[in-house]
Amino acid sequence: MNLTMLVALGVIAATSAGMIVLYNRLIRLRNQVKNAWRQIDVQLKRRHDLIPNLVEVVKDYMSYEQETLCQVIAARNRAVAVEGQDFEAAMVAEQGLSGALGRLFALMENYPDLKANNNVTDLMEELSSTENRIAFARQFYNDSVMAKNNAIESFPSNMIANLFSFRHGRYFEVDTAARETPRVDLR
Amino acid sequence: MHRTDFLAAAAANRRNTNRLILLLLLIGAILGYLLGWSLELYTAAAMQPHGATVWYLSPWGVRGALLLMGFGMFWTVLVFLVGDRIVLGLVGAREVGREELPQLHNVVEEMAIAAGIPKPRIYLLDTPALNALATGLDTRRSAIGVTRGLLDKLDRDELQGVIGHEMGHIVNLDMRYATAVGILVGLIALVADFAFRALYLRGVGRRFGRGRSGGGGAVIALFIVLIFAALAPVFAKLVQMAVSRQREFLADATSVRLTRNPHGLISALEKLAVSTEPFRGANRATQHMFIVNPLRNFSEQAGRLFATHPPISARVRRLMNLNGD
Repeated sequence: MNLTMLVALGVIAATSAGMIVLYNRLIRLRNQVKNAWRQIDVQLKRRHDLIPNLVEVVKDYMSYEQETLCQVIAARNRAVAVEGQDFEAAMVAEQGLSGALGRLFALMENYPDLKANNNVTDLMEELSSTENRIAFARQFYNDSVMAKNNAIESFPSNMIANLFSFRHGRYFEVDTAARETPRVDLR
Repeated sequence: MHRTDFLAAAAANRRNTNRLILLLLLIGAILGYLLGWSLELYTAAAMQPHGATVWYLSPWGVRGALLLMGFGMFWTVLVFLVGDRIVLGLVGAREVGREELPQLHNVVEEMAIAAGIPKPRIYLLDTPALNALATGLDTRRSAIGVTRGLLDKLDRDELQGVIGHEMGHIVNLDMRYATAVGILVGLIALVADFAFRALYLRGVGRRFGRGRSGGGGAVIALFIVLIFAALAPVFAKLVQMAVSRQREFLADATSVRLTRNPHGLISALEKLAVSTEPFRGANRATQHMFIVNPLRNFSEQAGRLFATHPPISARVRRLMNLNGD
């Protein structure tokens, strides 16, 4: 075996080792994105489970807010109906639910009796924690998507990504309707 | 200091720490080399009194350097395998369940979700002092401890900032760094001390026993080794403290990356800075693990080179820099 062959073998070995490392990194990132997406689902499910309890507890105090309560329940049921289905439908339903819940929370500020109730404060802590968890789960999902997209676009891992047709991840975006501040009646 | 975003800040911190650890390994290797070298010169000088030369690559020195580095790595691995739950016992913490402190559990779980790691176990330290700490050599077996005083004095956002800081220590594997660095520093101190005693006594014994003997090379070697053995532990300690301070800055930056809200951590740090509650149960062995040093008056002393934590004012300044406006 001469020197040229040794060098060629060395180059081939180094290249394939590098390719394996890059490919495994892409796989790890892809799985992280998938897992992060499931984590959002877990937290959304948790929110769906908490809402009936909250409505049950507050409905006696907030008998004048039937409409808002009904909206929350309806939005929750729509969200449950599309659980585990496609991305777009789930996103729209969840944004509707977030909006309805935001209006309910804002209205609850008007009822001092509610805040004195231990059950309600416990539930509020659980619900605000769930809201935070959903937000953090989305944040982690978006961070994971960014890491994956960076790997897919940057050299040299973009060559491996093209070869094995890795696709870009889609960011979780909040549309303008969900960002609208809930209206509060000041009368 | 110019404004930076938190990802860049975290990357810079990680680079600094890696450099410091390399420096530490280098100090250990040099010490090992010098020891082996002087040993070789002694035996050589005994055989041929005037022929020893100083400037060559000593095989014994290389062996010494390799031995010391290998021993350091072996010791590190050993501690990684057995030593992870001792700390919380040392500071007198007990594990608390969700029923007892639901909000703390919620905040920790939120931060674990933001970091994308399993939820750490949660411990409570029954003291009015304001402090928190994290342990765990990997992200799957980690724990966070907070004091009773912290839960009483901080609001939810501030608590979230502090828990984010501890979560930062966990995801940045700071316990691994701290353990590795601690072992290397201890090893360097031990070997330097041993070398100092052995060579010094031997030198004195020679002087008084057989008068002048050994080559010029041996004398120079003795001199160099003595100086290095005296300085190495001091340098090692300096590096260790510098690593510790870098990790605190990094954990602050990570906290903001997780919460996306620097104000919670800033106002928590300000509350921690003015708190004067004494902390029994903390000692020099565990001081570096807390979010603020439980033993010292950080406003005056923390700027010094041997401090485990940067001054709180400097940490707040960097956090303000992370803020987008």
